[in-house]
Amino acid sequence: MKPMLSTELNTPDAVVDKAKIEVKNLNFYYGQSKALKDISLSLPERSVTAFIGPSGCGKSTLLRVFNRIYELYPKQTADGQVLLDGQNILDRSQDLNLLRTKIGMVFQKPTPFPMSIYENIAFGVRLYEKLSKAEMDGRVEQALKRAALWTEVKDKLNASGLSLSGGQQQRLCIARTVAVKPEVILLDEPASALDPLSTAKIEELIDELQADYTIVIVTHNMQQAARVSRQTAFMYLGELIEFDRTEKIFTSPREKRTQDYITGRFG
Amino acid sequence: MAEHTVASFDEDLGQISRLIRDMGDLAGSMVGASTRALLNSDNALAQRVVSDDAIMDARQRELDDRAITLIAKRQPMADDLRHVVGSIRMAGDLERIGDLAKNIAKRVGSVGVSAAPRDLSHSIDSMAQMVLIQVQAVIEEYTLGDATALAKLRNDDERIDVKYTSVFRELLTYMMEDPRNITACTHLLFCAKNLERIGDHVTNIAENAYYVLTGTQLPANRPKQDETAMSAPAA
Repeated sequence: MKPMLSTELNTPDAVVDKAKIEVKNLNFYYGQSKALKDISLSLPERSVTAFIGPSGCGKSTLLRVFNRIYELYPKQTADGQVLLDGQNILDRSQDLNLLRTKIGMVFQKPTPFPMSIYENIAFGVRLYEKLSKAEMDGRVEQALKRAALWTEVKDKLNASGLSLSGGQQQRLCIARTVAVKPEVILLDEPASALDPLSTAKIEELIDELQADYTIVIVTHNMQQAARVSRQTAFMYLGELIEFDRTEKIFTSPREKRTQDYITGRFG
Repeated sequence: MAEHTVASFDEDLGQISRLIRDMGDLAGSMVGASTRALLNSDNALAQRVVSDDAIMDARQRELDDRAITLIAKRQPMADDLRHVVGSIRMAGDLERIGDLAKNIAKRVGSVGVSAAPRDLSHSIDSMAQMVLIQVQAVIEEYTLGDATALAKLRNDDERIDVKYTSVFRELLTYMMEDPRNITACTHLLFCAKNLERIGDHVTNIAENAYYVLTGTQLPANRPKQDETAMSAPAA
């Protein structure tokens, strides 16, 4: 087996597009314990990248670094560089609110606010922009259409977001994320709590959204990673083991550990 | 290779491997028996080859069923996926080898006893030996996981093609010498063509097996000798 060089890790073959996010020698600590070890990789713009790996491998941690959401918790620190369009977002001078408008996030469990469907979307937009009623109506409609939810909710925009089904709630969360016009969307197990039909709708949505956004998805569902992403990173015990085109990872991975994991042989 | 966390997954894959080995053994014995029947005008042996073909077909259907069920149940990935899909394809080639051996066996009666002089069938015999070695080796090397040997074996098919050309010319000469040889020689020619086709299926199996084992494809074209100078048949 060919030893993997760190330069080969940085960009998968055949992915020559402009990098949206470049991670360089990133380390992450939960207090004393090191959760990410010298991670370097480059995520191409307007394309879906999947992070896979067993629980505790650091994939969600890596996702949480991209919008610095980890800073909400004490004793969590990162060093190294995460460049968004060449700008290091780990820099102390980075405006966090601005960063989080650029990098939206959707979580495993749908997290609608306890307010109307309309307000769920308008609420976030109002934090950053002053829009007239008509403009806001347009923005809400556009976001709901983008999240493939419009036809299902257009007649009940004043109903509570919590009255929707799980799959609809998750798409509402995606609509809310899209409404503030981000550049990157982080999805942390977005479909793991959903039924197969809702999952298919979310996957269809991811497929459409990648024309405009850079998407990073963390998933335990290997088939889902294989279906939706263009490149896949396999992580294990805080290390990036292999990063390559998705077809390559799922048909003939270079590393034995990747092979063992995706074929269900992990000890 | 480490075992799967789900032990029954290994059993399912093992059953598919076992079927490939069974089909490979059967293909080897059918090729050997059909040419022996041809050379010795042994009708009973020929009949056995014909009935063996039904077993071959049944094995292939069983393998297809198991492979499809495994894909549906387990969604295999990486080497497992290559193993299952490769097995389906290899089984297809083995089944075709069985058909071609059966076709040789069916010609045994038509060639007859007297019409096939020893020297006439001598080169068919040596061609059959070459093919038989290839058929037996390809499954053995796949089972052993020897990708290098498979790549070499695929290239060795060239020797069978060259041999076929020489058999073709030889049989043509016999026919020109004595028109009474035409019927027997035509049947022998078909038999030689069948052997040559069996060699091609072995090549396919070797290519598939190589891909299953390594995840990379062998180059599309293997080295080929220019046979046009030997007035080779077009197909």
